Amino acid sequence: MTMKRIFPALFFLGLMIAAPPGAQAKVNLFACEPEWAALARELGGDDVEIFTATTPRQDPHHVRARPSLIGAMRRADLVICTGASLEVGWLPILLQKAGNENAQPGGAGLLLAAELVPLLEKPVRLDRAEGDIHPEGNPHVHLNPHNIALIAQALTDRLKSVDAAKADAYQARFYNFAARWRDATQRWEQQAAGLKGATIVVHHKAFTYLLAWLGIQEAGVLEPKPGIPPTASHLEALLQKLTLVPARLIVRTPYDPADASVWLSQKTGARAIVLPFTVGGDAESGDLFALFERTIALLKGASGA
Amino acid sequence: MRNPSFAAVAASITLLSSTTATYAASDTDIQAMKAEIQSMRQSYENRIAELESKLSKIENQKPAAQQAVAPAPVSARQSARTIRDNSFNPSVGLILNGKYSGFSEDNSAFAGFAVGEEGERGKQGFGLDESEFNFSSNVDDKFYGSVTAAIVREGGEDKIELEEAYVQTLPGMGLPKGMNVKAGRALWTLGYLNEHHAHTDDFADRPLPYRVFLNSAFNDDGAEASYVLPTDFYSEIGGGAFRGDDYPFGGPSGGGFDAWSAYARVGDDIGENQSWRFGVSILSGDAGGRGGNEDAVNFTGDSDLYAADLRYTWAPTGNPRAQEVLLQGEYFWRSEDGAYEDFGAGTGAVPFDDNAQGWYAQGVYKFLPQWRIGYRYSRLKTPDVPLGLLGSALDSSGYNPDAHAVMADWTNSEFSRVRLQYNHEELTRGQNDDQIFLQYIMSIGAHGAHKY
Repeated sequence: MTMKRIFPALFFLGLMIAAPPGAQAKVNLFACEPEWAALARELGGDDVEIFTATTPRQDPHHVRARPSLIGAMRRADLVICTGASLEVGWLPILLQKAGNENAQPGGAGLLLAAELVPLLEKPVRLDRAEGDIHPEGNPHVHLNPHNIALIAQALTDRLKSVDAAKADAYQARFYNFAARWRDATQRWEQQAAGLKGATIVVHHKAFTYLLAWLGIQEAGVLEPKPGIPPTASHLEALLQKLTLVPARLIVRTPYDPADASVWLSQKTGARAIVLPFTVGGDAESGDLFALFERTIALLKGASGA
Repeated sequence: MRNPSFAAVAASITLLSSTTATYAASDTDIQAMKAEIQSMRQSYENRIAELESKLSKIENQKPAAQQAVAPAPVSARQSARTIRDNSFNPSVGLILNGKYSGFSEDNSAFAGFAVGEEGERGKQGFGLDESEFNFSSNVDDKFYGSVTAAIVREGGEDKIELEEAYVQTLPGMGLPKGMNVKAGRALWTLGYLNEHHAHTDDFADRPLPYRVFLNSAFNDDGAEASYVLPTDFYSEIGGGAFRGDDYPFGGPSGGGFDAWSAYARVGDDIGENQSWRFGVSILSGDAGGRGGNEDAVNFTGDSDLYAADLRYTWAPTGNPRAQEVLLQGEYFWRSEDGAYEDFGAGTGAVPFDDNAQGWYAQGVYKFLPQWRIGYRYSRLKTPDVPLGLLGSALDSSGYNPDAHAVMADWTNSEFSRVRLQYNHEELTRGQNDDQIFLQYIMSIGAHGAHKY
């Protein structure tokens, strides 16, 4: 019987401890993926406190709605995610559970990158027999630097509206970033000119925007359907196809399993490489600029272009 | 503006992005764009024609229009309105869940406990478990609503069982940050498994304490508030008030609220690869006549259930897609003060004041993206029975039931799973029930994100 009294007492004690903290000097930003955290770092500098929900070695389609993510979502002033159903398996739970009015669909505090850029591979046939397809189109938009430029503009606007007192600082950082980004983009396009027309096999359709930007042909996909792991019969069929149209490279993300890439590489002689895919995907890709430098260097190095 | 080069930068970015967008587009995209241009042209032509006809009308009626400048376009707008009643349809999802069960023993009674219908061993042979349909949607800017109904076969008839039907506040409601209120019927927050739909479970059946103490799950009618605290780690508290109709309560009751609950939870990550959550909860209320063992046993009195739950997940490199270990355990302590009566044994109402315990622990290992294996052990500690109940269904004669379960499942996509499970249950002294389950769980349509 005593336990019956103690429990509610503890409960209300908890309520009282939960006094809201004082005004935060920094903007709390919740980034679903490392690439958006990196962009926020470029544009927000020291004025933002960034929480990144996933690591470069996690498949952003398959993340658990972990308790720590609910806590972080509750604290967020601004949330930036990819959208286009990439985070459909976990983001809705966080938004619902955190009860944070800043971060709600359609609100100023939730920025979905895929809504700002033209999406590729919008499915013609919406049927789950086609695998894990996204009705909006391919969500992996960040590997085209022109998309990053558009999203940077939108993120700057959101930062300015959330933290109006420092609007000038955000705008100045954006001018600075946009100028450097434009120059870098031109440089990358020149560097990668030799890759145009190259043929590449991908593990998952995670590189669609990169290939489209650089004019690289996608010769095949190791997954039989998006999100379905490679099967022996599919790989055999792909091998047959590649004898007609040989591929130079087989690329995968740091979180894709290696076995299928390695097998196909041994059979075809095409080199299998891991691209960083996002910021922090390997030791060299420390920020957004380094991510693209490194990606192009790896593609060129491995394909001999 | 402040920086003269801005316009140039912005212009070049826009230019560059528009060019890539064009040559990055596939054939279908080009088709879509052409179609869009065509439809835009069409709609502009229509609009121009409409405006021209309007203009000529107004010019013809000039003398009249000078007296009253009437808002003419109303009728035009009405005629252009399209009926889109279906656009706001709720998300619809279906769970198809069925299994084949085989048991080696006929008797499946629990020593020392009288259980509700859902707590009993399932049917032998083929059977639909709980094939359920769900409708959910935001009601407006302040409320969200969801209905989940299961189609179950009871007594040779297919019946619709309302598992959940609730409304919940959205952050637009203006409640304190982190606070939610839910009202209606729902799988309420209690322990770990209670708030989860059975199709998300890692095993084909619920562990013994859930079967005995909660009749599978507590989903009474009531309301619950939850509050995520502003801490650096995750912490949440909440509580609810309920009608007191659902197991472990039930029976005729006087007032409106015969049961209440409270819970507290904390959780966090350990590095990038591990996360955990720990919770304690209580469910307390009056049972005004709770039937058990197909109404052969009746309990009237106070029933308090305390629970502690722990869940831990570990995924190498933090990527649960490839490999994952899930560890989970719950402990229950039930204290009851009232009277039990076993009609079958003709005991009459016998005063009872004692406690029972139950726990389970399970581990699931995903060793390949589509394959998992798991093991679960559950155990109950039966209460001592008063003299008046000796020889009744509640007399365990000091025996404590336990059960082992081993499962392997194959998950083709996040929408389909097939599971093979073997149980060994010893629910009464001398019982050796070997059970086999072959289960499928499929999801069609909208499929909500899963909780941790």
